[in-house]
Amino acid sequence: MKTQLNFQPGCECLIRSLGSNKKMAQRLADMGVLPGSKMRIIRLAPFGETLEVSIDDGQYLALREDEINALDCDMMAMPLASPSVKLNQTYRIRSLADGKIFRQRMERYGIAPGITVRIHELSMHALSIELLPLRHTVKLGFGEAQKIIVEVTHGRKA
Amino acid sequence: MAGKHKEIVVALSAIPNTGKTTLFNRLTGSRQSTGNWPGVSIEKKCGRLTLGEYEVQLIDLPGAYALTPLNEEERIVHGFFLETPPDVVLNIVDARNLYRGLGLTLQMAMSGLPMVVVVNMMDEARRQNIELDIPLLAAHLGVPTVPISARTGEGIPALLNAMYQIIKKPERTRPPHISFPPLLEEAVKDLARKIGRNPNSPGLEPAFLATLLLEQDKASSAIKHPTLNKAVQKWQRRVQRSMDEDIAVTCAQCRFNAARGLMLEATHQQPIPPDARSEWIDRILLNRWLGLPLFFLSMLGLFQAVYGLGTPLQEMLAHSFDSGEQWLHQQPGVVALPSWLQSFLFDGLWQGMAVVTSFFPIIALFFIFMSIIEDSGYMARAAFLMDRLMHRIGLDGKAFINLLLGYGCNIPAVMGTRILSGRYNRLVTMLLIPFTLCSARLQVFVFLTAILFPPAIAPWIVFALYLGSLLAVFVMGLLLKVLHIAGNPEPFIMEIPPYRFPTLSGVALRTWYELKDFLYRAATLIIVGVIMVWLLTHFPATAAPASAESWAGQLGKFVAPVFDPLGIHWQETVALLFGLIAKEIVIGALAVIYGGPDLANQLAEQITPLQGISFMVFTLLYTPCIATLAAIYAESRSWLITALSLVLGLVSAWIASLLLYQTGLALGFH
Repeated sequence: MKTQLNFQPGCECLIRSLGSNKKMAQRLADMGVLPGSKMRIIRLAPFGETLEVSIDDGQYLALREDEINALDCDMMAMPLASPSVKLNQTYRIRSLADGKIFRQRMERYGIAPGITVRIHELSMHALSIELLPLRHTVKLGFGEAQKIIVEVTHGRKA
Repeated sequence: MAGKHKEIVVALSAIPNTGKTTLFNRLTGSRQSTGNWPGVSIEKKCGRLTLGEYEVQLIDLPGAYALTPLNEEERIVHGFFLETPPDVVLNIVDARNLYRGLGLTLQMAMSGLPMVVVVNMMDEARRQNIELDIPLLAAHLGVPTVPISARTGEGIPALLNAMYQIIKKPERTRPPHISFPPLLEEAVKDLARKIGRNPNSPGLEPAFLATLLLEQDKASSAIKHPTLNKAVQKWQRRVQRSMDEDIAVTCAQCRFNAARGLMLEATHQQPIPPDARSEWIDRILLNRWLGLPLFFLSMLGLFQAVYGLGTPLQEMLAHSFDSGEQWLHQQPGVVALPSWLQSFLFDGLWQGMAVVTSFFPIIALFFIFMSIIEDSGYMARAAFLMDRLMHRIGLDGKAFINLLLGYGCNIPAVMGTRILSGRYNRLVTMLLIPFTLCSARLQVFVFLTAILFPPAIAPWIVFALYLGSLLAVFVMGLLLKVLHIAGNPEPFIMEIPPYRFPTLSGVALRTWYELKDFLYRAATLIIVGVIMVWLLTHFPATAAPASAESWAGQLGKFVAPVFDPLGIHWQETVALLFGLIAKEIVIGALAVIYGGPDLANQLAEQITPLQGISFMVFTLLYTPCIATLAAIYAESRSWLITALSLVLGLVSAWIASLLLYQTGLALGFH
């Protein structure tokens, strides 16, 4: 079973297969988008549904959600606020969004690229994460979590 | 050397957004001609250039990502290569993203045709600090490779020289080695052997043809050989069983693996730095909150510019046509002519020419701004912003701009559908444009509402008509989507190219050719249409023009029972017939038909407000002017689509007016 992934700006995934829609698979293949390509979601159109993505950081495409969902992808990185982020899972912080003030505040919490965190608590509007090297928890709002891009780590720590 | 040479055919082929048109313009300048590829609505551009003793015909092939056809454009390229292989292939790749373009380059190199590879946008690549090893690329590809910038003209002499050398000493391209999975490799070899035994596509490598055959779903039309088709199907089944992905996807993957290797070797620094300028601009222009307001602001600016500049120019042209008519009327030679001939010359022919000419300023301005939007790369962004809205009616974002511009004038909007991707988008957009409330219709509405309604209400009626037009576009879009009239929409995958400065010559050439095209393709039809209306309204010769006794009047009375339930009198039906020439004429026609000195009072007496609304709704929806129909025919190359547009307009106008009028009556309005 393929699970529906939630693609939102900041997500990055690895294309495993171009999916079962033959016409679309061939079109993507002809454009050089192939299994093994890395796809990064850049932005969502103001009215929604249409996404701008970059393929291997060199090619920019607009695709609709339906078409992206038809692809078979492994999610590699996502904003901390993404629904794909699961409780008790550990993630490594990859990058923080632009904004000097935001970065400074996060730094004070000890949140910086490279740090491994575990999701401690997940609720509707906030989540608390445990910073693994320091063993202390930080509470974040969803707005903040949206600006923190994390990647999946493979070891799972209880 | 012998002095006479046969004309050399060079095909210009590239994936979209590599500056193909800029190079084509650079190489051929004004020696271009446009036409259509047989049977389809896609433009075929040919140009000429002289290289030493050779006359070269340069064919601009539509942008295609691969030779395996998926859409109309690619089918043309596919058919062209198989049926009429060119003498030389000129392939363009983008220096900033070699990987993207090399897939097609490698596929075409497999064909064995003599080839020159052009690495375009060297200036942009330098700005991004990308360094390329061109000699290494040439050595690996085994074909002459020339770095250029079509925009600045850099490298063009070297390119011309390379083309000259290859025409003088045609050298077959050594097919590059691309490694396929073993079974696929075996299939290609076996089929290539079979093709080699009875070659019917001379000049093309058997292995190239074999790969194309294996990649295709249906039996290829290019190779008519029943036993071969059977062998292809057998191999397809065998190969497909051994792998997960489609054969075509696997072949593309193998080509792009080779392309990636080549790109990595030819590019000095890794990774390639992203285009910071485009990213920075997009952060503003595609911003969640700013993107849409900025888009609408730019569209407003475009509208203002096209009509602000175009309307005075139109008036100037109309004025000079009027004075020309007056001057001609005084010529003794003309006065001596019989009156019916005079009427034909002035009310028919002259009027037709005036209608054609009146569109020139608008079309020119429209295409100047359209090319700027397109060449700069903003078109793709606009499409991205508006995509969801358009998707509702089965179109993609690009169609929005065409529909929007229809609110100015339908003709250039229809002509502009050429840049849309896919037949479905082109046809549906072109059928929807006539439902937009163009400025000519607006004049009629402003005039009539001012007569029939108090000043406080009149603007609201016009506003309601705008809303009605939007509703009509939306409803018709849904209808066309459900009816599958133009086939199925293609999956939406749109490239967002980096921003680029449009060139003056590119914009000017495009505008010039669009005007020429309009003149060649639409003008005759418009003049014929105007003359037909003239015939209807001026014959039989004994009747006063457009009177009850004229053919038009008789026709109006004949169809009166159809228009009666709409509250439209026969006089107005005749005016609607006149409106086919151009919607503005409706008012003048009413004046002629009612034939009194004070049209406003007369109309107010004859027509009730409800009847007026019914008449205006009919005017809004029914068949656009002859010029729009001519443009629809010129773009679609299909009488069926043109007729459909006519019928859709008439039927929807009738139904809408009927519903409105009868509901109004039932509610006690009159």
